[in-house]
Amino acid sequence: MSDHNEKHQHEGQEHHHFILPERTAVAVGLALLVLTGVTVWVAGIDFGRLNFTIALLIAVVKASLVGLVFMGLKYDRKENGLIFVTSFLFLAIFIALTATDLLFRGDVYVKGPLVAASGKSQFKKPWISTTELVAKGKTLYEQQCVACHGAQGRGDGPAGAGLNPKPRNLTAAEGWKNGHKATGIFKTLTQGLNQMPVFSSLSTDDRWSLTQYVLSMGPAAEKDTAADFAALKIDPTKDDGGAGAGEESKSIPVEVAIDLLAVPEQKAQR
Amino acid sequence: MSSTHITTGGYQHAHHYKSAGDEFEASKQGMWLFMVTEVLMFGGLFVAYTMFRAMYPEMFHEASKHLAVNLGLTNTIILITSSLTMVLAVIASQKGQKGRILLHLGLTFLLSCGFLVVKYFEYSGKIHHGILPGGLFTNTEITHPKAPLFFSLYYVMTGIHAFHVIVGMGLMVWLAVRTMRNEFSPAFYTPVELVGFYWHFVDMVWIFLFPLMYLVG
Ligand code: HEC
Repeated sequence: MSDHNEKHQHEGQEHHHFILPERTAVAVGLALLVLTGVTVWVAGIDFGRLNFTIALLIAVVKASLVGLVFMGLKYDRKENGLIFVTSFLFLAIFIALTATDLLFRGDVYVKGPLVAASGKSQFKKPWISTTELVAKGKTLYEQQCVACHGAQGRGDGPAGAGLNPKPRNLTAAEGWKNGHKATGIFKTLTQGLNQMPVFSSLSTDDRWSLTQYVLSMGPAAEKDTAADFAALKIDPTKDDGGAGAGEESKSIPVEVAIDLLAVPEQKAQR
Repeated sequence: MSSTHITTGGYQHAHHYKSAGDEFEASKQGMWLFMVTEVLMFGGLFVAYTMFRAMYPEMFHEASKHLAVNLGLTNTIILITSSLTMVLAVIASQKGQKGRILLHLGLTFLLSCGFLVVKYFEYSGKIHHGILPGGLFTNTEITHPKAPLFFSLYYVMTGIHAFHVIVGMGLMVWLAVRTMRNEFSPAFYTPVELVGFYWHFVDMVWIFLFPLMYLVG
């Protein structure tokens, strides 16, 4: 410590008792006002996403002027500047860590269950709603869909916030890409839709149950046309009608495949 | 350090410091450490801002249109000017010009009053339109269901900032009283300089708040 003091004595008084010339202070004040004008002017021009970056850059320049000249960091001991700047480093870490969590939750929630799909249906004509289907669908919905579509189906779940397009508001009448009808929703669940994950690993029954529950949340459904059924290779006149087996995914999740292929000894060991 | 003006002027530094210069440096460093805690306190709010903005960009866009840019701009100009008058007060204290210290502290104080008056009109305008934070939000023009979130951030961030302004005004009165009692001299002006730091920091926060809240939603 004493070393340190000695060093400073030799550096002389002006070093830490530098008096800022008034002219410099006024010039910096004016520069700050001009930069404020620039911020407002630039914000009026549409640069899309760049607007945010530009505004932030100007703010950083202004804050640096305040810090360096008004707060005198430029003339101060280097360690004081280091202390101050380090706090911004920690702020950056704070933002980055929060972002890696919050903005990527959707990637975690979408992992489907490890149940292999089965083509047979226990329900007769599951494209027609029954209370049994809706009740089963509700349970599944709460496990699989709430994260993105929200508890009330309004498309406001926490994991969906960062997605574009946003998860569908399932209670709305409009905005449906595959149609607000049983076959449309079944198709979405079987094939996925952009950021909406594929749920073909769920059994056919589960997908129909979900379909009926989704329809129960919104306004009256549209009618399924003969063409809709044909596209899913369903014969709506028959009781089981193939139940959409034609659209069944040929692939199963990797984990399930490994499990199925594992030789009995290995299984026993686990 | 004893050979220069720091130890002259009748100021007696505390006994645990080698010299008045050491004392000044230590106080100043303490102030920088305080500034760090301030950065991290406002930092938490800016993190919340950044995350919610990333999650609901269109909501921020819609909601920020309901802030009064002209009032925000007026306050930016006021605050920057007050930072300048504060620097001038510090310079005057370093030169031992008592009258000018009081003049510039007075100007800074008046500008802060102006800031709060504008803030008052801004808040009351919002409240009149039912634009209140969180569950108190009753405005119907703003349609996005998450809009109250933006205004919660708005009130908390600008509110804590305004609180800092009020504290700063108290500090200015305190400095003015001490100046009138002839407590400051070129040998001792630490409090003036450190309140100056605080005030510039308050300015700095606003420099970020203004564009982020009012302009680029
Ligand atoms: C990773 C988040 C996520 C999960 C989990 C999720 N969805 Fe979606 N969903 C989306 C997104 C995003 C869209 C909008 C896709 C688009 O518009 O391109 C969507 C759209 C939909 C649609 C509308 C399709 C159309 O025709 O427009 C339905 C129905 C749907 N989801 C049902 C479900 C059901 C049922 C579940 C649970 C089994 C579920 N989603 C789980 C993100 C998700």
